[in-house]
Amino acid sequence: MQTENVIEIRNLSKVYRDFWGRRKVQALKSLSLDVKKGEVFGLLGPNGSGKTTTLKLLLGLLFPSDGEIRVLGKPAADVDKNERIGYLPEESYLYRFLNAEETLEFYGRLFKMPAEERRKRADELIKQVGLDHARRRQLKEYSKGMTRRIGLAQALINDPDLVMLDEPTSGLDPIGTREMKDMIIRLKEQGKTVVMCSHLLADVQDVCDRIAILYAGELKVMGRVDELLSEQDETQLLTSRLNDEALAEVRQVLERHNAKMLKVGHPTASLEDLFLRTVDESRARPGRRFMPGEDGAAGTPAPAPAATPES
Amino acid sequence: MNFNPLPYPIGQAVIFWLILFGSVTGIVLAIALFTSLVARGLKGPAAVLGQVRDFAVDMIRLSPRRVFALSSLTFKEAIRRKALLIFVVFALLFMFGGWFLSGTGERPDEQARVYISFVLRVIGWLTLPVVLLLSCWGIPEDIRARSLHTVVTKPARRNEIFLGRFLGFSAVGSIIVVIMGVVGYFWIVRQTPSDLVARVPRYGDLAFLDREGNPGRGVNVGDMWEFRSYVEGATRARGLWRFKDVYPGDNPDEGLVLESRFEAFRTHKGDMERGLLCELSFFNPETELRVRHRPFQVKEFSQNEIKIDRKLSMYDEETNTTKEVDLFDDLITDGTLYVEARAIDPGQYLGMARPDLFIRMANRPFYVGYAKAVFGIWMMAILVVALGVTASCFVKGPVATLLTLTFLIIGQGFREFMDRMVFQNLNNVLAGGGPVESWIRLIRHMNPQVPMEPGVSTSIIQFVDARMFDLLWIVQHIVPDFRHFRMAPYIANGFDVNFESAIVPGLAVMFGYLLPCLLLGYFSLKLRELEAK
Ligand SMILES: Nc1ncnc2c1ncn2[C@@H]1O[C@H](COP(=O)(O)OP(=O)(O)OP(=O)(O)O)[C@@H](O)[C@H]1O
Ligand SMILES: [Mg+2]
Repeated sequence: MQTENVIEIRNLSKVYRDFWGRRKVQALKSLSLDVKKGEVFGLLGPNGSGKTTTLKLLLGLLFPSDGEIRVLGKPAADVDKNERIGYLPEESYLYRFLNAEETLEFYGRLFKMPAEERRKRADELIKQVGLDHARRRQLKEYSKGMTRRIGLAQALINDPDLVMLDEPTSGLDPIGTREMKDMIIRLKEQGKTVVMCSHLLADVQDVCDRIAILYAGELKVMGRVDELLSEQDETQLLTSRLNDEALAEVRQVLERHNAKMLKVGHPTASLEDLFLRTVDESRARPGRRFMPGEDGAAGTPAPAPAATPES
Repeated sequence: MNFNPLPYPIGQAVIFWLILFGSVTGIVLAIALFTSLVARGLKGPAAVLGQVRDFAVDMIRLSPRRVFALSSLTFKEAIRRKALLIFVVFALLFMFGGWFLSGTGERPDEQARVYISFVLRVIGWLTLPVVLLLSCWGIPEDIRARSLHTVVTKPARRNEIFLGRFLGFSAVGSIIVVIMGVVGYFWIVRQTPSDLVARVPRYGDLAFLDREGNPGRGVNVGDMWEFRSYVEGATRARGLWRFKDVYPGDNPDEGLVLESRFEAFRTHKGDMERGLLCELSFFNPETELRVRHRPFQVKEFSQNEIKIDRKLSMYDEETNTTKEVDLFDDLITDGTLYVEARAIDPGQYLGMARPDLFIRMANRPFYVGYAKAVFGIWMMAILVVALGVTASCFVKGPVATLLTLTFLIIGQGFREFMDRMVFQNLNNVLAGGGPVESWIRLIRHMNPQVPMEPGVSTSIIQFVDARMFDLLWIVQHIVPDFRHFRMAPYIANGFDVNFESAIVPGLAVMFGYLLPCLLLGYFSLKLRELEAK
């Protein structure tokens, strides 16, 4: 299977400098990763770990201090690549004096969409993000979640092949979050590539094919979600509610097969475990790449490292 | 302050612009190539040339539709931010301006002049601050709110963003100027009792004959910076005008109307009841035919209209007969008319300058001249927008405002002073040396005529002064000459605004700055991270 890399990052570093050129923060350290066509890629990491910085570098909003970036086969500073990209910023940076219709109208014009198509698409998107009731209101009157929604609509106006979402679910209500997840899955089904940052690990686990965890600008973990999370030494059973009697029977069966009941309860969001372990480990031993299986930090043995560098 | 419309040497100006623009771009490019070579080795110059290529590509692939989208956004923003509230100020000024200006009991033409100047000044003073603030704050605000992030991650090019802003604010400025212009027009027409017209002058060149009748300059009656030269009465001194392209008008029986605005300079009281007398004569150097016109009294500070009939009679001294002469057929060859002016009263002088005698062409309606004067304000507003948007591409709002304001002030108020300094320095007639030397002379109480003692310190002082003059020269050539947009003197003096000497220079200055502004704005937006800092 020939997979084409939509994003290629090689040894990317970013140092924020002040007006006088003095270095303030090293936001990224020698990051290398690829995103393949058609996958949903999640960038995770604690606050300030460099996720937004990575996205901005990919979009050419920031210039790398070192390293190389190619997006859709073009350098990040190239304007033409934007024809096929949709971007939802961390906070929706839109023109607050426009209303929802005007906003989409404006961004549609930047793509030179014909008037008819523009109107149709805008109408569709407004309905899709659930702002039909507020389409004529100026954005400055919008609530945070409503601004997020119109921001999302704006990112999709050109039917992009590559969608970059910076914390798409922040500020959304549970229904909105759910819809966002469905939408990302729909995009994936349509063969689009999605790169997203998020702090909602359960959602990331649900929608992402691959993830990378950044800590203080360094890549700590990268790999397929299912591989990273599957614990091959464990088997998890999920049944409908069992009474004590049934439970005792199950325990007996397990004992007969020489297995131990480790935990009984509701399945946990195991990405959360991975994330917390990664962060703990990175804090304890800065500068090292984290191998989830290498240590017993979280108590359970884990499979061989799934996070092999992609280069 | 004299009203002296000179034809603008547009060809020369264009060549000068090309040289200046070419050399500045060349120098900047050379510096960029060199420093990038030093800093990054061979990759540096390649990157610099890549930027040049990107600019060319972006210019070629510029999309008018995107520019239009961005400029309508800019326009909408300005309107929704209530920029048009300026009309309230405008209305108030007019309501109360009328009280202060009217009823001064002056001559009607004087009063019209006051009203016209008032209206044009109000339009200028209200429009410029609005467009200045709008254009200086637009992009920085866009960067601060990061709304620009959402635009530059769409396929919008940096030149489109610059042009979109520029055109949007220009549209706002245009609306303000047009509405205020129209309202101002009706206000003037309503306030002035007399009929307003725009007189159309045709100017010639002027030469002088001295009191012996030899070519030379006129007499200087004392003021160094006097703009007129003086012709002594009852001598052979003359002011000699040459007018070109003088042809009969639509009505073949009509002659010409001349108008003079000579200044009378009396060395003795003479006859105070009447004005000094001036005699015009026409002559044709081909045929040596000379016709004297009857003398007229010079009324100062007002129009002296002299009607010249087509058929003139002259007294032929050789044949002692009166002959009839045709103005166009006998006195004018190839459309060239020579007019001599002399003063008649002995011991009295008439001050003359080039624009003091002109041929009056058919009048134009007042609104034509007025519209052109408003157009002058418009061009100035557009240039301010261009400068403001450019400045706002590389500095924040307050700094951009200050920078543009500085340009405006230097370009308008200090221009005269700066031009004089540079001119005197280049011609070595600047008494007392440059700024440092002047200070030292001031402190030491040294006479400006006394040379400085030669020595190391003097050499240093002179070196520093020379560099200061270089700097002044650069400033003089970089800051636009905003005086070119002042067309109010034309119509306040009752004239139409001349195309060659007023509109052309205005357009030249405006267009001359657009390309450099675009380049500067483009690269400022392209080479910086659009991150709020
Ligand atoms: N404009 C800036 N100037 C200076 N430092 C910055 C700037 N933007 C970000 N940083 C720094 O760079 C580092 C990474 O920031 P970034 O915004 O990429 O984090 P993030 O992973 O997106 O965090 P969050 O989860 O909070 O959104 C932080 O230390 C931050 O302080
Ligand atoms: Mg972030």
